[in-house]
Amino acid sequence: MTEETKASEHETSKDIKELVIARLDVLPPGKKVSIGSVGEFDKNELIEHVRKDDEIGQKIIEVELNYLRALKEGTLLNKLLVPQEE
Amino acid sequence: MAQTLLITRPEHEEAMFYLSRWSTTIIEEAKRKGINVVDLHKQKANRKKVIGILEKRIPKLAVLNGHGSESAVAGHDNKTILKEGDTKAVKSKIFFARSCKSTKSLGQDAINNGATAYLGYKEDFWLFYSENKIFKPLEDKTAELFLEPSNYVPIALLKGHTAGQANSKSKARFIKNIEKLIIEGPASDNYYAIRYLLWDMTHQVCLGNKDAVF
Repeated sequence: MTEETKASEHETSKDIKELVIARLDVLPPGKKVSIGSVGEFDKNELIEHVRKDDEIGQKIIEVELNYLRALKEGTLLNKLLVPQEE
Repeated sequence: MAQTLLITRPEHEEAMFYLSRWSTTIIEEAKRKGINVVDLHKQKANRKKVIGILEKRIPKLAVLNGHGSESAVAGHDNKTILKEGDTKAVKSKIFFARSCKSTKSLGQDAINNGATAYLGYKEDFWLFYSENKIFKPLEDKTAELFLEPSNYVPIALLKGHTAGQANSKSKARFIKNIEKLIIEGPASDNYYAIRYLLWDMTHQVCLGNKDAVF
């Protein structure tokens, strides 16, 4: 397998990046996020990392896709419908 | 003899300051219950003190706030306070590590070496907060969505619940916050937080003996 092929496997599709950026774009101003030991970011920095498709950008995309999958597969709905312990 | 809780509260950056200030509610709950608290605040959250106290087997419950990796948890200035191979320190303790990824490897290593239970996160812990509240973290309603449910792991243990119950009760609080935001709808200032709350909740786990009690 060539290096280019390997790289393309990790490259996020343009459509997904645009979707994630559109979703991040509606974050209200004045909020920051701490992502573990990775650092603290504001909205514009999050978007920039997604654009660059770097390691942080890919983490951000993973969280968005995790949520969209939970909506599509109904796992979030199940969690909401199943009575919780408290 | 009263039980003892060990808690580490580094404050060297914004997120750590939030975890530290929100941990004061855990300390208050412990004191209300007559539990001794060893509070390793700021520079005191260092490896020498943490290992020294844990190895004397004083605390049965240790709450570690700080950055983490798969194999270690850090304290003040991101210096390691607990890592794989700390066999003597983990024996017969319940841990709650509010740090990233440490259940992936450190948590299992601790259980293999005699820790009773290890609660924490198998991925990065995401925490949103408001820039205009960074000096008053306890008044930050955005951070509260993340830290109140997470705090409930040690608080449930202090109330006498098992490790497994503490995990599920904490997750119930994450769900309650998600429900609240869904009901408030997109007009809510924190509606976006749903996906990050779901992430933290999904990746919060309890390893070891789920029936363990403090």
